[in-house]
Amino acid sequence: MGVWRDMDTGTKASAIAHGALIAWVIVGDVLWPFDTSSMPEVANVSLMSEADFAALQASAPKPSEAEATPPPARPEPAEQPAEPLPEDLPVASEAQPEEAPPPVAPIAGVEQPIPVPQSETPPAPRPMDRVAATPVDEQPDTPDVADQAAPEVSDEVPPDAEVPPPDQPAAAPQEAAPVVVTEADPAPEDAPQLAPTTSIRPKSRPARPAQTPQETPPPDADADAEAIAAALAEATADAPADTAAEPAADAGASADIPEGPPMSGGEVEGLRIAINRCWVTSTLSTEAMNTTVTLRVEMSEAGKPTSIEMTSFEGGSAAAADRAFEAGRRAVNRCAGANGYDLPPEKYGQWNVLNLIFDPNGMRLR
Amino acid sequence: MTKLTHLAAFALMAVATLAAPARAELTIRLTDGVIEPMPVAIPTFIDEGGAGDIAASLSRVVAANLVGTGLFREIGAEAYISQVGSFDAPIAYADWQAINAQALIVGAASAQGDQIVVKFRVFDVFSGAQLGDGLQFAAPAASWRRMAHKVSDAVYSRITGEGPYFDSRVVFVAESGPKNERLKRLAVMDQDGANVQYLTDSSSIVLAPRFSPDGSRILFTSYQSGFPQIYVMDVATLQTRSLGQQEGTMTFAPRFSPDGQRVAFALERGGNSDIYTLDLNSGQLSQLTNSPSIETAPSFSPDGSQIVFESDRTGTQQIYVMPASGGEGVRISNGQGRYGTPVWSPRGDMIAFTKQNQGRFHIGVMLTDGTEERLLTSSFLDEGPTWAPNGRVLMFTRESAGAEGQAQLFAVDVAGLSLRPVPTEGPASDPSWSPLLP
Repeated sequence: MGVWRDMDTGTKASAIAHGALIAWVIVGDVLWPFDTSSMPEVANVSLMSEADFAALQASAPKPSEAEATPPPARPEPAEQPAEPLPEDLPVASEAQPEEAPPPVAPIAGVEQPIPVPQSETPPAPRPMDRVAATPVDEQPDTPDVADQAAPEVSDEVPPDAEVPPPDQPAAAPQEAAPVVVTEADPAPEDAPQLAPTTSIRPKSRPARPAQTPQETPPPDADADAEAIAAALAEATADAPADTAAEPAADAGASADIPEGPPMSGGEVEGLRIAINRCWVTSTLSTEAMNTTVTLRVEMSEAGKPTSIEMTSFEGGSAAAADRAFEAGRRAVNRCAGANGYDLPPEKYGQWNVLNLIFDPNGMRLR
Repeated sequence: MTKLTHLAAFALMAVATLAAPARAELTIRLTDGVIEPMPVAIPTFIDEGGAGDIAASLSRVVAANLVGTGLFREIGAEAYISQVGSFDAPIAYADWQAINAQALIVGAASAQGDQIVVKFRVFDVFSGAQLGDGLQFAAPAASWRRMAHKVSDAVYSRITGEGPYFDSRVVFVAESGPKNERLKRLAVMDQDGANVQYLTDSSSIVLAPRFSPDGSRILFTSYQSGFPQIYVMDVATLQTRSLGQQEGTMTFAPRFSPDGQRVAFALERGGNSDIYTLDLNSGQLSQLTNSPSIETAPSFSPDGSQIVFESDRTGTQQIYVMPASGGEGVRISNGQGRYGTPVWSPRGDMIAFTKQNQGRFHIGVMLTDGTEERLLTSSFLDEGPTWAPNGRVLMFTRESAGAEGQAQLFAVDVAGLSLRPVPTEGPASDPSWSPLLP
């Protein structure tokens, strides 16, 4: 008791608490039995190898895949002949097809070749049998679609486009309209009538006159003049045959077509913008986007195209040029609309034939 | 007399010049077209007997294919002024011009025995002319989707001049489960996402499936053995074989040669990976690169003479081209950032790649010498481009950010047009386009 008395209060409290804990451990289970129903269940385990685990996992059912894939039809892979692989290549230790989720229908079962319809024998799979280029003749009395197409185009050709007399030499009109606006040198906006291009040229010739004075004058000018006149007369007689060989150039070139002043820059630009707006290049192939095509367009006085043909192309194959031509033709026809392009009628002689160069090269990377 | 002759010749030339049709012709150069979808009318295909709903379904699939390219815009039937009553009826071009249809596709279907016959024509509305010849196909009714794809291919090629690609399939990795415990299995589908079929189960991770040039086999990487290893699967039978495994190595990133006789892949040994080829007939293994850096992702040029691959030999991931027999290779990527997963175009003119720069991923293309680099996409994570058989369209994987982010397949035109998701049943990645179906 003396020891107890000598203890401080903290030590006494600690001794009492430890005593109580020891007593609870010894007799607690008797006084307050443990409720075993709340204990977690414990299962016996054993270690297994990785191979065993893989095999177990592989053989386990896989409900989700069974739902996702259609049942049967999968050929039994184990019986299938091997691929043309080398015999010595190792086969996967756990062959996947055996464990693969059921039912994967082979692609070949679905992808049946498409035979040629009229053929009775099972045909070459790929061939795409042609329908007649023109509508089928099953109904000979029905209008032919392709035949209908041409008249619809040609119906719109104004009669005057075919009028030009074949024997009319084009020489006379030429001198009256020498202005040609090229892609490299677009027409200046305020160009004087018929003047600009011809008035500039003399500047490049000053060097020659220095030698010309050295030459002796022609001795018999009269005789030469007669010879020239005779040659001219003879040549003029042959001219109609030459011009007839180029009918397209004469399409709108009859003498009564008003030449008018040259197209102003604004008018040309307006036409360019109008056609650009309808020129859809997004459907051109990569190769066609590298192909520049030149279209010759004959126009009616109403401002509508009457004939469109490709005169040249560069940068791509003929097939690509055809696609580029079609895109250009669509643009010209589409933006002409029902009323035609808004072009000055008094200058019809300037725009009755258009050379349109469709150059998509700059648009490739946009 | 000689002088007279000369004068006469001069006179003749002068007259010939005067007589020539040198009439003024206005010449205009057009360089600024518009990039917009072409409006096209696709009236419901006519049922010429027994085709039933297939006729309508055919025209819908054709429309979906064409519109899906981003190059075409379908004009709704409610806008039609005239109807196409019969396949051979004359076309009222003015009516179609009035609704701004630039192309018109007229089709019909009929049942003949157990076959469905489909025929169609394409018209250039504003030119008032038929584009090319009409075509027709026949196949069992169950294959009507393939017929629709073939019609789409013919129309697409006829208008654009590009090669066909709709009648093709795509093998990919179908994913499921949470991002940190994702299950993956191989699947194959039509290029438009239809007809999905699963080729493997989810018991092991599979990556990077690649079609053989003839579409009969698929290479892929699997962790079935615990390490990445290349397998080849026969598509018809699903029989799968390992391409061999050397002790202590990992193999991945396989791709067939254009003739289908060799496989190029990356082999990792001791932390260093190099590019090898395996001759499938002889089993001969050839090492093409020998560098302490990481070389991977080889892809053959279409003629089989060269291989493009990625390497970090300069410290950052870049793209190199070397002869198919091996060698040092020439670096062709020179922009900012890192480049990877190069794939040679089936046309041979371009190389598609994945680029990572400034925290963004891009799918891009460049010429085979590395010039004219063009980035087509930009997102949190874009990777793994694959070319359509015509070399005009790319498909790739796009993964969204965040714990809930999922992988999805996207397609984009090589010009950067019409970026669009490819519908799949669930998350999907690692697409590989098949060749055109036979």
